[in-house]
Amino acid sequence: MIGCGWGLVYGVLNSLSNIMLLPSAPFISIRPQIALPMAVGILLNPPAGFVVGFIGNMIGDGISGFGIWKFWNWHLANGLMGFIPGLIRYFGIVKIGTVREFGILQMSVVLASGIAVAFAVLLDVCFLHHMTFPSSFPSWILPAFLTDAVNGFVLVPVILLAFRKILLTLEIRTICLVTILLLLAVFSTAVSITLSILDDLVSQEAVIENFYIAGIVSVFLLVVGFLASVVFVRRFTDPVIRMSRASQEVESGHYDLSLLDPVSSRNDELGRLSRVLQKMAKTVQERERSLRQQVQDLQIKIDRKRKDEEVREIVETDYFRELKKKAKAFRSS
Amino acid sequence: MAKIIAIHSFRGGTGKSNTTANLACLLAREGYRVGMVDTDIQSPGIHVLFDLDTNDIPYALNDYLWGKCDIARAAYDVTKTLGADATGRLFLVPSSIRAGDIARVLHYGYDVTLLKEGYRQLIRQLPLDYLFIDTHPGINEETLMSIATTDVLLIILRPDQQDYQGTAVTVEVSRQLEVPEMYIVLNKVPVRVDREALAAKAVSAYDCPVVGVLPHDEDMLDLGSSGIFSLRYPDHIISREMRRIVQRLTP
Repeated sequence: MIGCGWGLVYGVLNSLSNIMLLPSAPFISIRPQIALPMAVGILLNPPAGFVVGFIGNMIGDGISGFGIWKFWNWHLANGLMGFIPGLIRYFGIVKIGTVREFGILQMSVVLASGIAVAFAVLLDVCFLHHMTFPSSFPSWILPAFLTDAVNGFVLVPVILLAFRKILLTLEIRTICLVTILLLLAVFSTAVSITLSILDDLVSQEAVIENFYIAGIVSVFLLVVGFLASVVFVRRFTDPVIRMSRASQEVESGHYDLSLLDPVSSRNDELGRLSRVLQKMAKTVQERERSLRQQVQDLQIKIDRKRKDEEVREIVETDYFRELKKKAKAFRSS
Repeated sequence: MAKIIAIHSFRGGTGKSNTTANLACLLAREGYRVGMVDTDIQSPGIHVLFDLDTNDIPYALNDYLWGKCDIARAAYDVTKTLGADATGRLFLVPSSIRAGDIARVLHYGYDVTLLKEGYRQLIRQLPLDYLFIDTHPGINEETLMSIATTDVLLIILRPDQQDYQGTAVTVEVSRQLEVPEMYIVLNKVPVRVDREALAAKAVSAYDCPVVGVLPHDEDMLDLGSSGIFSLRYPDHIISREMRRIVQRLTP
Protein backbone atom coordinates (compact mmCIF):
# COMPACT_ATOMS: atom_id res chain seq x y z
CA MET A 1 0.00 0.00 0.00
CA ILE A 2 2.73 2.42 0.99
CA GLY A 3 4.55 1.27 -2.13
CA CYS A 4 1.52 2.20 -4.28
CA GLY A 5 1.29 5.62 -2.63
CA TRP A 6 4.93 6.41 -3.26
CA GLY A 7 4.47 4.92 -6.74
CA LEU A 8 1.84 7.57 -7.44
CA VAL A 9 4.22 10.32 -6.27
CA TYR A 10 6.98 8.83 -8.41
CA GLY A 11 4.63 8.64 -11.39
CA VAL A 12 3.59 12.30 -11.16
CA LEU A 13 7.23 13.37 -10.80
CA ASN A 14 8.07 11.23 -13.84
CA SER A 15 5.42 12.89 -15.96
CA LEU A 16 6.71 16.30 -14.89
CA SER A 17 10.32 15.48 -15.68
CA ASN A 18 9.45 13.89 -19.01
CA ILE A 19 9.53 17.37 -20.47
CA MET A 20 13.17 17.92 -19.29
CA LEU A 21 14.83 15.76 -21.87
CA LEU A 22 18.54 15.17 -21.88
CA PRO A 23 20.38 16.80 -24.78
CA SER A 24 20.58 14.57 -27.82
CA ALA A 25 18.62 11.80 -26.04
CA PRO A 26 15.08 12.18 -27.34
CA PHE A 27 13.38 9.71 -25.01
CA ILE A 28 15.36 10.03 -21.77
CA SER A 29 14.66 12.82 -19.30
CA ILE A 30 16.66 14.07 -16.32
CA ARG A 31 15.13 12.08 -13.49
CA PRO A 32 16.23 13.01 -9.96
CA GLN A 33 13.11 11.21 -8.66
CA ILE A 34 14.72 7.84 -9.45
CA ALA A 35 16.13 8.09 -5.91
CA LEU A 36 12.58 7.56 -4.63
CA PRO A 37 12.03 3.86 -5.48
CA MET A 38 15.65 3.16 -4.49
CA ALA A 39 15.20 4.77 -1.07
CA VAL A 40 11.86 3.03 -0.51
CA GLY A 41 13.51 -0.30 -1.35
CA ILE A 42 16.19 0.35 1.24
CA LEU A 43 13.98 1.88 3.93
CA LEU A 44 11.07 -0.60 3.64
CA ASN A 45 11.98 -3.73 1.64
CA PRO A 46 12.88 -4.76 -1.96
CA PRO A 47 9.29 -5.60 -3.06
CA ALA A 48 8.07 -2.18 -1.91
CA GLY A 49 10.85 -0.57 -3.95
CA PHE A 50 9.82 -2.66 -6.94
CA VAL A 51 6.17 -1.60 -6.65
CA VAL A 52 7.12 2.11 -6.47
CA GLY A 53 9.36 1.84 -9.53
CA PHE A 54 6.98 -0.27 -11.58
CA ILE A 55 3.72 1.57 -10.86
CA GLY A 56 5.41 4.95 -10.94
CA ASN A 57 6.85 4.46 -14.39
CA MET A 58 3.48 3.17 -15.62
CA ILE A 59 1.61 6.19 -14.24
CA GLY A 60 4.23 8.57 -15.60
CA ASP A 61 3.97 7.05 -19.07
CA GLY A 62 0.18 7.18 -18.84
CA ILE A 63 0.05 10.85 -17.91
CA SER A 64 2.65 11.77 -20.51
CA GLY A 65 0.53 10.06 -23.22
CA PHE A 66 3.01 7.29 -24.09
CA GLY A 67 0.37 4.68 -23.26
CA ILE A 68 0.36 2.56 -20.13
CA TRP A 69 1.81 -0.65 -21.60
CA LYS A 70 3.88 0.57 -24.52
CA PHE A 71 7.20 0.58 -22.62
CA TRP A 72 6.39 -2.23 -20.17
CA ASN A 73 10.04 -3.32 -20.21
CA TRP A 74 10.93 0.02 -18.63
CA HIS A 75 8.31 -0.52 -15.92
CA LEU A 76 10.16 -3.68 -15.02
CA ALA A 77 13.50 -1.89 -15.20
CA ASN A 78 12.29 0.85 -12.82
CA GLY A 79 10.96 -1.85 -10.53
CA LEU A 80 14.39 -3.47 -10.50
CA MET A 81 15.97 -0.12 -9.63
CA GLY A 82 13.81 -0.05 -6.51
CA PHE A 83 14.30 -3.75 -5.81
CA ILE A 84 18.09 -4.19 -6.07
CA PRO A 85 19.32 -1.51 -3.58
CA GLY A 86 16.83 -2.92 -1.05
CA LEU A 87 18.81 -6.15 -1.09
CA ILE A 88 21.68 -4.62 0.93
CA ARG A 89 19.78 -5.50 4.11
CA TYR A 90 20.50 -9.14 3.29
CA PHE A 91 24.21 -8.26 3.39
CA GLY A 92 23.80 -7.33 7.02
CA ILE A 93 23.41 -3.59 6.46
CA VAL A 94 20.76 -2.18 8.78
CA LYS A 95 22.25 1.25 9.47
CA ILE A 96 24.96 2.89 7.42
CA GLY A 97 27.75 4.09 9.66
CA THR A 98 31.02 3.00 8.08
CA VAL A 99 32.77 3.64 4.78
CA ARG A 100 32.30 -0.02 3.88
CA GLU A 101 28.54 0.18 4.39
CA PHE A 102 28.37 3.48 2.54
CA GLY A 103 30.37 1.97 -0.32
CA ILE A 104 28.05 -1.02 -0.58
CA LEU A 105 25.06 1.33 -0.66
CA GLN A 106 26.49 3.44 -3.48
CA MET A 107 27.59 0.36 -5.40
CA SER A 108 24.10 -1.11 -5.12
CA VAL A 109 22.63 2.09 -6.54
CA VAL A 110 24.98 2.16 -9.56
CA LEU A 111 24.67 -1.58 -10.05
CA ALA A 112 20.86 -1.39 -9.93
CA SER A 113 20.85 1.27 -12.66
CA GLY A 114 23.17 -0.80 -14.86
CA ILE A 115 21.31 -4.07 -14.42
CA ALA A 116 17.91 -2.45 -14.88
CA VAL A 117 18.85 -0.65 -18.08
CA ALA A 118 20.54 -3.76 -19.50
CA PHE A 119 17.44 -5.75 -18.62
CA ALA A 120 15.12 -3.26 -20.34
CA VAL A 121 17.28 -3.27 -23.46
CA LEU A 122 17.39 -7.06 -23.51
CA LEU A 123 13.58 -7.26 -23.30
CA ASP A 124 13.26 -4.68 -26.07
CA VAL A 125 15.63 -6.61 -28.34
CA CYS A 126 13.76 -9.85 -27.71
CA PHE A 127 10.12 -8.73 -27.75
CA LEU A 128 9.44 -5.10 -28.58
CA HIS A 129 11.91 -3.97 -31.21
CA HIS A 130 11.56 -0.21 -30.44
CA MET A 131 15.31 0.15 -30.51
CA THR A 132 17.88 -0.84 -32.96
CA PHE A 133 21.14 -1.94 -31.55
CA PRO A 134 23.80 -0.50 -31.48
CA SER A 135 22.43 2.75 -32.94
CA SER A 136 20.20 3.42 -29.90
CA PHE A 137 23.14 3.09 -27.53
CA PRO A 138 23.93 6.86 -27.35
CA SER A 139 20.28 7.98 -27.47
CA TRP A 140 18.64 5.44 -25.12
CA ILE A 141 20.85 3.16 -23.18
CA LEU A 142 23.72 5.34 -22.02
CA PRO A 143 21.61 8.41 -21.07
CA ALA A 144 19.19 6.21 -19.14
CA PHE A 145 21.99 4.57 -17.23
CA LEU A 146 23.80 7.86 -16.54
CA THR A 147 20.83 9.83 -15.23
CA ASP A 148 19.69 6.99 -13.02
CA ALA A 149 23.13 6.13 -11.66
CA VAL A 150 24.21 9.72 -10.98
CA ASN A 151 20.91 10.87 -9.49
CA GLY A 152 20.68 7.77 -7.32
CA PHE A 153 24.30 8.17 -6.25
CA VAL A 154 23.75 11.77 -5.13
CA LEU A 155 20.18 11.73 -3.83
CA VAL A 156 19.70 8.32 -2.20
CA PRO A 157 22.19 9.20 0.60
CA VAL A 158 20.39 12.52 1.11
CA ILE A 159 17.03 10.79 1.60
CA LEU A 160 18.53 8.11 3.85
CA LEU A 161 20.22 10.80 5.91
CA ALA A 162 16.87 12.51 6.42
CA PHE A 163 15.38 9.21 7.61
CA ARG A 164 18.36 8.57 9.95
CA LYS A 165 19.27 5.44 8.06
CA ILE A 166 22.75 6.92 7.64
CA LEU A 167 24.52 7.74 10.90
CA LEU A 168 26.69 10.83 10.95
CA THR A 169 29.81 9.12 12.19
CA LEU A 170 33.25 10.48 11.52
CA GLU A 171 33.78 7.95 8.75
CA ILE A 172 30.53 8.87 7.05
CA ARG A 173 31.25 12.61 7.37
CA THR A 174 34.63 12.07 5.78
CA ILE A 175 33.41 9.95 2.88
CA CYS A 176 30.54 12.39 2.32
CA LEU A 177 32.93 15.31 2.10
CA VAL A 178 35.13 13.44 -0.36
CA THR A 179 32.04 12.54 -2.39
CA ILE A 180 30.84 16.14 -2.43
CA LEU A 181 34.25 17.38 -3.60
CA LEU A 182 34.30 14.72 -6.30
CA LEU A 183 30.82 15.75 -7.41
CA LEU A 184 31.88 19.40 -7.55
CA ALA A 185 34.79 18.42 -9.79
CA VAL A 186 32.53 16.33 -12.01
CA PHE A 187 29.93 19.08 -12.09
CA SER A 188 32.41 21.74 -13.13
CA THR A 189 33.61 19.49 -15.95
CA ALA A 190 30.02 18.81 -16.97
CA VAL A 191 29.20 22.51 -16.99
CA SER A 192 32.11 23.33 -19.29
CA ILE A 193 31.26 20.47 -21.60
CA THR A 194 27.59 21.42 -21.70
CA LEU A 195 28.51 25.02 -22.51
CA SER A 196 30.65 23.81 -25.38
CA ILE A 197 27.80 21.66 -26.65
CA LEU A 198 25.26 24.47 -26.48
CA ASP A 199 27.50 26.74 -28.57
CA ASP A 200 28.28 25.56 -32.04
CA LEU A 201 31.87 26.72 -31.55
CA VAL A 202 32.32 28.09 -34.99
CA SER A 203 34.29 31.14 -34.03
CA GLN A 204 37.49 31.47 -32.06
CA GLU A 205 35.75 34.05 -29.83
CA ALA A 206 33.17 31.47 -28.82
CA VAL A 207 35.91 29.02 -27.82
CA ILE A 208 37.66 31.67 -25.73
CA GLU A 209 34.39 32.78 -24.14
CA ASN A 210 33.60 29.21 -23.16
CA PHE A 211 37.09 28.83 -21.82
CA TYR A 212 36.60 31.82 -19.50
CA ILE A 213 33.17 30.69 -18.34
CA ALA A 214 34.53 27.25 -17.56
CA GLY A 215 37.38 28.93 -15.69
CA ILE A 216 35.04 31.08 -13.61
CA VAL A 217 32.90 28.06 -12.74
CA SER A 218 36.03 26.13 -11.75
CA VAL A 219 37.33 28.92 -9.53
CA PHE A 220 33.91 29.31 -7.90
CA LEU A 221 33.70 25.60 -7.20
CA LEU A 222 37.30 25.56 -5.97
CA VAL A 223 36.55 28.32 -3.45
CA VAL A 224 33.29 26.71 -2.28
CA GLY A 225 34.95 23.31 -2.01
CA PHE A 226 37.90 24.73 -0.12
CA LEU A 227 35.72 26.63 2.35
CA ALA A 228 33.65 23.51 2.94
CA SER A 229 36.84 21.56 3.59
CA VAL A 230 38.12 24.18 6.03
CA VAL A 231 34.90 24.06 8.02
CA PHE A 232 34.95 20.29 8.05
CA VAL A 233 38.63 19.96 8.90
CA ARG A 234 38.18 22.41 11.80
CA ARG A 235 35.23 20.42 13.10
CA PHE A 236 37.30 17.28 12.80
CA THR A 237 40.61 18.47 14.23
CA ASP A 238 39.31 20.63 17.09
CA PRO A 239 38.13 17.61 19.14
CA VAL A 240 41.38 15.79 18.44
CA ILE A 241 43.39 18.81 19.59
CA ARG A 242 41.24 19.12 22.70
CA MET A 243 41.71 15.46 23.52
CA SER A 244 45.43 15.73 23.04
CA ARG A 245 45.46 18.71 25.42
CA ALA A 246 43.26 16.77 27.87
CA SER A 247 45.68 13.85 27.98
CA GLN A 248 48.51 16.31 28.68
CA GLU A 249 46.45 17.72 31.56
CA VAL A 250 45.99 14.24 33.00
CA GLU A 251 49.69 13.56 32.61
CA SER A 252 50.51 16.63 34.67
CA GLY A 253 48.01 15.64 37.36
CA HIS A 254 45.03 17.83 36.46
CA TYR A 255 41.92 15.72 36.24
CA ASP A 256 39.32 18.38 35.46
CA LEU A 257 38.53 17.63 31.84
CA SER A 258 35.69 20.12 31.35
CA LEU A 259 37.51 21.32 28.23
CA LEU A 260 36.24 18.09 26.66
CA ASP A 261 32.57 18.88 27.37
CA PRO A 262 31.83 20.15 23.83
CA VAL A 263 33.45 17.04 22.38
CA SER A 264 31.60 14.68 24.71
CA SER A 265 28.27 16.00 23.54
CA ARG A 266 29.06 14.79 19.99
CA ASN A 267 27.26 11.72 18.83
CA ASP A 268 30.11 10.03 16.97
CA GLU A 269 33.33 8.12 17.63
CA LEU A 270 35.12 11.22 18.92
CA GLY A 271 32.26 11.91 21.33
CA ARG A 272 32.47 8.39 22.69
CA LEU A 273 36.25 8.57 23.01
CA SER A 274 35.96 11.89 24.82
CA ARG A 275 33.35 10.58 27.26
CA VAL A 276 35.51 7.56 28.03
CA LEU A 277 38.50 9.86 28.60
CA GLN A 278 36.54 12.03 31.03
CA LYS A 279 35.27 9.00 32.91
CA MET A 280 38.73 7.49 33.10
CA ALA A 281 40.19 10.73 34.42
CA LYS A 282 37.55 10.83 37.13
CA THR A 283 38.27 7.24 38.12
CA VAL A 284 42.00 7.84 38.24
CA GLN A 285 41.46 10.98 40.33
CA GLU A 286 39.28 9.17 42.84
CA ARG A 287 41.69 6.28 43.09
CA GLU A 288 44.63 8.59 43.63
CA ARG A 289 42.77 10.58 46.26
CA SER A 290 41.79 7.44 48.15
CA LEU A 291 45.36 6.10 47.98
CA ARG A 292 46.75 9.37 49.29
CA GLN A 293 44.18 9.31 52.10
CA GLN A 294 45.10 5.74 52.97
CA VAL A 295 48.75 6.61 53.25
CA GLN A 296 47.80 9.63 55.35
CA ASP A 297 45.65 7.50 57.66
CA LEU A 298 48.43 4.99 58.11
CA GLN A 299 50.94 7.50 59.39
CA ILE A 300 51.20 7.60 63.12
CA LYS A 301 53.35 10.60 63.91
CA ILE A 302 54.25 11.21 67.48
CA ASP A 303 56.05 14.32 68.65
CA ARG A 304 58.44 12.68 71.12
CA LYS A 305 59.60 15.91 72.68
CA ARG A 306 56.10 17.13 73.39
CA LYS A 307 55.10 13.73 74.69
CA ASP A 308 58.05 13.58 77.08
CA GLU A 309 57.18 17.04 78.37
CA GLU A 310 53.57 16.13 79.00
CA VAL A 311 54.53 12.88 80.67
CA ARG A 312 56.99 14.76 82.87
CA GLU A 313 54.30 17.21 83.92
CA ILE A 314 52.19 14.32 85.12
CA VAL A 315 54.73 12.04 86.72
CA GLU A 316 56.54 14.78 88.57
CA THR A 317 53.53 15.68 90.70
CA ASP A 318 53.43 14.56 94.31
CA TYR A 319 50.11 12.88 93.67
CA PHE A 320 51.67 10.71 90.99
CA ARG A 321 54.69 9.74 93.10
CA GLU A 322 52.38 8.77 95.91
CA LEU A 323 50.12 6.83 93.55
CA LYS A 324 53.04 4.97 92.06
CA LYS A 325 54.11 3.78 95.47
CA LYS A 326 50.60 2.59 96.29
CA ALA A 327 49.85 1.01 92.93
CA LYS A 328 51.64 -2.22 93.68
CA ALA A 329 49.85 -2.59 96.97
CA PHE A 330 46.50 -1.83 95.33
CA ARG A 331 46.81 -4.62 92.84
CA SER A 332 47.98 -7.27 95.26
CA SER A 333 45.14 -6.57 97.68
CA MET B 1 40.67 -13.94 91.19
CA ALA B 2 38.60 -11.10 89.73
CA LYS B 3 40.06 -8.91 87.03
CA ILE B 4 39.64 -5.15 86.79
CA ILE B 5 39.59 -3.82 83.23
CA ALA B 6 39.81 -0.06 82.75
CA ILE B 7 38.82 1.48 79.40
CA HIS B 8 40.49 4.78 78.71
CA SER B 9 40.88 7.24 75.88
CA PHE B 10 42.78 10.47 75.59
CA ARG B 11 39.85 12.37 74.12
CA GLY B 12 36.07 12.08 74.29
CA GLY B 13 33.97 10.61 71.52
CA THR B 14 36.21 7.66 70.83
CA GLY B 15 33.45 5.16 71.60
CA LYS B 16 34.68 4.33 75.07
CA SER B 17 31.30 3.75 76.73
CA ASN B 18 30.05 1.78 73.75
CA THR B 19 33.07 -0.49 73.75
CA THR B 20 32.88 -0.99 77.51
CA ALA B 21 29.21 -1.97 77.28
CA ASN B 22 29.78 -4.36 74.37
CA LEU B 23 32.75 -6.13 75.96
CA ALA B 24 30.95 -6.45 79.31
CA CYS B 25 27.86 -7.90 77.63
CA LEU B 26 29.86 -10.41 75.59
CA LEU B 27 31.71 -11.56 78.71
CA ALA B 28 28.49 -11.88 80.71
CA ARG B 29 26.90 -13.90 77.91
CA GLU B 30 29.74 -16.39 78.28
CA GLY B 31 28.61 -17.07 81.82
CA TYR B 32 30.78 -14.66 83.83
CA ARG B 33 29.56 -12.30 86.50
CA VAL B 34 30.48 -8.89 85.18
CA GLY B 35 30.25 -5.40 86.63
CA MET B 36 30.62 -1.94 85.08
CA VAL B 37 31.37 1.33 86.86
CA ASP B 38 30.79 4.62 85.06
CA THR B 39 33.50 6.82 86.58
CA ASP B 40 32.97 9.53 83.98
CA ILE B 41 31.14 11.53 86.62
CA GLN B 42 31.36 14.77 84.67
CA SER B 43 29.66 13.41 81.58
CA PRO B 44 28.07 10.06 82.32
CA GLY B 45 26.64 8.06 79.41
CA ILE B 46 26.82 4.29 79.64
CA HIS B 47 23.47 3.97 81.46
CA VAL B 48 21.64 5.00 78.28
CA LEU B 49 22.79 1.80 76.56
CA PHE B 50 21.04 -0.22 79.27
CA ASP B 51 17.80 1.78 79.42
CA LEU B 52 18.60 2.86 82.94
CA ASP B 53 17.07 6.19 83.83
CA THR B 54 19.19 7.66 86.60
CA ASN B 55 16.35 9.92 87.67
CA ASP B 56 14.44 6.85 88.83
CA ILE B 57 17.23 5.10 90.68
CA PRO B 58 17.79 5.85 94.35
CA TYR B 59 21.61 5.67 94.40
CA ALA B 60 24.47 6.33 92.00
CA LEU B 61 28.26 6.24 92.20
CA ASN B 62 28.13 9.84 93.44
CA ASP B 63 26.24 8.77 96.56
CA TYR B 64 28.87 6.20 97.40
CA LEU B 65 31.70 8.72 96.91
CA TRP B 66 29.99 11.18 99.24
CA GLY B 67 29.52 8.48 101.84
CA LYS B 68 25.76 8.29 101.49
CA CYS B 69 25.63 4.55 100.76
CA ASP B 70 27.43 1.33 100.27
CA ILE B 71 28.66 0.93 96.66
CA ALA B 72 26.71 -2.33 96.20
CA ARG B 73 23.51 -0.32 96.77
CA ALA B 74 24.37 1.71 93.65
CA ALA B 75 24.85 -1.42 91.50
CA TYR B 76 21.89 -2.34 89.28
CA ASP B 77 21.28 -5.70 87.71
CA VAL B 78 21.02 -5.18 83.93
CA THR B 79 21.27 -8.87 82.98
CA LYS B 80 17.99 -8.65 81.06
CA THR B 81 19.81 -6.67 78.34
CA LEU B 82 21.67 -9.85 77.42
CA GLY B 83 18.54 -11.73 76.35
CA ALA B 84 16.86 -14.82 77.74
CA ASP B 85 19.61 -17.36 77.07
CA ALA B 86 22.41 -15.57 78.94
CA THR B 87 24.00 -17.57 81.74
CA GLY B 88 26.11 -14.85 83.41
CA ARG B 89 25.09 -11.73 85.29
CA LEU B 90 25.67 -8.09 84.48
CA PHE B 91 25.70 -5.15 86.92
CA LEU B 92 26.06 -1.43 86.35
CA VAL B 93 27.07 1.28 88.79
CA PRO B 94 25.95 4.48 86.99
CA SER B 95 26.96 8.05 87.63
CA SER B 96 24.26 10.53 88.48
CA ILE B 97 23.07 12.74 85.65
CA ARG B 98 21.40 15.17 88.00
CA ALA B 99 22.82 18.59 87.21
CA GLY B 100 23.31 19.34 90.90
CA ASP B 101 25.30 16.16 91.49
CA ILE B 102 27.56 16.84 88.51
CA ALA B 103 28.12 20.43 89.60
CA ARG B 104 29.02 19.30 93.08
CA VAL B 105 31.66 16.91 91.76
CA LEU B 106 33.10 19.63 89.54
CA HIS B 107 33.16 22.07 92.41
CA TYR B 108 34.31 20.01 95.36
CA GLY B 109 35.84 16.94 93.74
CA TYR B 110 35.94 13.74 95.70
CA ASP B 111 38.36 11.46 97.42
CA VAL B 112 39.65 9.35 94.55
CA THR B 113 41.04 6.71 96.87
CA LEU B 114 37.43 5.80 97.58
CA LEU B 115 37.21 4.52 93.99
CA LYS B 116 39.78 1.84 94.64
CA GLU B 117 37.97 0.75 97.82
CA GLY B 118 34.66 0.75 95.96
CA TYR B 119 35.99 -1.60 93.27
CA ARG B 120 37.21 -4.01 95.93
CA GLN B 121 33.85 -4.03 97.69
CA LEU B 122 31.91 -4.53 94.49
CA ILE B 123 34.03 -7.51 93.49
CA ARG B 124 33.57 -9.12 96.86
CA GLN B 125 29.91 -8.36 97.50
CA LEU B 126 28.25 -9.05 94.14
CA PRO B 127 30.58 -11.08 93.61
CA LEU B 128 32.29 -10.45 90.25
CA ASP B 129 34.64 -12.20 87.83
CA TYR B 130 35.28 -9.03 85.83
CA LEU B 131 34.86 -5.36 86.64
CA PHE B 132 34.91 -2.80 83.80
CA ILE B 133 35.74 0.79 84.58
CA ASP B 134 34.52 3.35 82.06
CA THR B 135 36.84 6.29 82.72
CA HIS B 136 36.69 9.98 82.08
CA PRO B 137 38.70 10.93 78.98
CA GLY B 138 42.10 12.52 79.43
CA ILE B 139 44.43 12.23 82.36
CA ASN B 140 43.48 13.54 85.79
CA GLU B 141 43.63 12.27 89.36
CA GLU B 142 40.63 10.04 88.93
CA THR B 143 41.85 8.37 85.71
CA LEU B 144 45.33 7.96 87.15
CA MET B 145 43.73 6.23 90.14
CA SER B 146 41.84 3.90 87.83
CA ILE B 147 45.01 3.15 85.88
CA ALA B 148 46.93 2.48 89.08
CA THR B 149 44.22 0.12 90.25
CA THR B 150 43.45 -1.80 87.10
CA ASP B 151 44.78 -5.18 86.04
CA VAL B 152 44.10 -4.57 82.39
CA LEU B 153 44.12 -1.23 80.59
CA LEU B 154 42.37 -0.93 77.22
CA ILE B 155 43.29 2.30 75.46
CA ILE B 156 40.84 3.31 72.74
CA LEU B 157 41.78 5.75 70.01
CA ARG B 158 40.59 6.95 66.66
CA PRO B 159 43.02 7.16 63.76
CA ASP B 160 43.86 10.86 63.95
CA GLN B 161 46.96 12.79 64.94
CA GLN B 162 45.59 14.20 68.22
CA ASP B 163 44.62 10.75 69.46
CA TYR B 164 47.95 9.33 68.33
CA GLN B 165 49.85 11.94 70.30
CA GLY B 166 47.66 11.71 73.42
CA THR B 167 47.81 7.93 73.45
CA ALA B 168 51.60 8.09 73.50
CA VAL B 169 51.36 10.05 76.76
CA THR B 170 48.83 7.66 78.27
CA VAL B 171 50.92 4.61 77.35
CA GLU B 172 54.04 6.12 78.88
CA VAL B 173 52.30 7.13 82.12
CA SER B 174 50.62 3.73 82.39
CA ARG B 175 53.98 1.99 82.00
CA GLN B 176 55.30 4.00 84.92
CA LEU B 177 52.32 2.85 86.97
CA GLU B 178 53.23 -0.71 85.99
CA VAL B 179 49.88 -1.76 84.57
CA PRO B 180 50.18 -5.56 84.20
CA GLU B 181 48.36 -5.78 80.87
CA MET B 182 47.90 -2.96 78.41
CA TYR B 183 46.16 -3.18 75.03
CA ILE B 184 45.26 -0.77 72.26
CA VAL B 185 41.93 -0.73 70.41
CA LEU B 186 41.61 1.39 67.28
CA ASN B 187 38.04 2.55 66.80
CA LYS B 188 36.12 4.34 64.03
CA VAL B 189 38.70 3.39 61.43
CA PRO B 190 37.58 4.53 57.94
CA VAL B 191 36.57 1.59 55.75
CA ARG B 192 39.16 2.45 53.08
CA VAL B 193 42.06 2.00 55.51
CA ASP B 194 44.00 -1.26 55.50
CA ARG B 195 43.25 -2.30 59.07
CA GLU B 196 46.04 -4.84 59.42
CA ALA B 197 48.64 -2.35 58.22
CA LEU B 198 47.31 0.26 60.64
CA ALA B 199 47.47 -2.24 63.52
CA ALA B 200 51.08 -3.03 62.64
CA LYS B 201 51.95 0.68 62.62
CA ALA B 202 50.32 1.17 66.02
CA VAL B 203 52.16 -1.81 67.50
CA SER B 204 55.50 -0.36 66.43
CA ALA B 205 54.58 3.20 67.46
CA TYR B 206 53.50 2.29 71.02
CA ASP B 207 55.27 -1.03 71.53
CA CYS B 208 51.95 -2.34 72.80
CA PRO B 209 49.65 -5.09 71.45
CA VAL B 210 46.70 -3.98 69.33
CA VAL B 211 43.77 -6.25 70.16
CA GLY B 212 41.11 -4.78 67.91
CA VAL B 213 40.66 -2.53 64.89
CA LEU B 214 37.01 -1.54 64.59
CA PRO B 215 35.83 -0.04 61.30
CA HIS B 216 33.72 3.06 61.26
CA ASP B 217 30.23 1.92 60.48
CA GLU B 218 26.96 3.65 59.67
CA ASP B 219 24.94 0.84 61.30
CA MET B 220 26.64 1.61 64.59
CA LEU B 221 25.72 5.28 64.17
CA ASP B 222 22.10 4.43 63.41
CA LEU B 223 21.88 2.45 66.60
CA GLY B 224 23.27 5.50 68.35
CA SER B 225 23.55 5.21 72.09
CA SER B 226 20.63 2.84 72.47
CA GLY B 227 21.16 -0.90 72.52
CA ILE B 228 24.21 -3.10 72.40
CA PHE B 229 25.56 -3.40 68.88
CA SER B 230 27.33 -6.75 69.21
CA LEU B 231 24.16 -8.36 70.56
CA ARG B 232 21.96 -6.95 67.83
CA TYR B 233 24.32 -7.59 64.92
CA PRO B 234 26.40 -10.58 66.07
CA ASP B 235 27.75 -11.32 62.58
CA HIS B 236 28.94 -7.78 61.87
CA ILE B 237 32.69 -7.26 61.56
CA ILE B 238 32.63 -4.92 64.57
CA SER B 239 30.99 -7.63 66.68
CA ARG B 240 33.56 -10.18 65.52
CA GLU B 241 36.39 -7.83 66.48
CA MET B 242 34.73 -7.30 69.88
CA ARG B 243 34.62 -11.06 70.47
CA ARG B 244 38.30 -11.27 69.54
CA ILE B 245 39.07 -8.65 72.19
CA VAL B 246 37.03 -10.60 74.75
CA GLN B 247 39.06 -13.71 73.95
CA ARG B 248 42.24 -11.80 74.80
CA LEU B 249 40.75 -10.76 78.14
CA THR B 250 39.64 -14.22 79.24
CA PRO B 251 41.98 -17.06 80.21
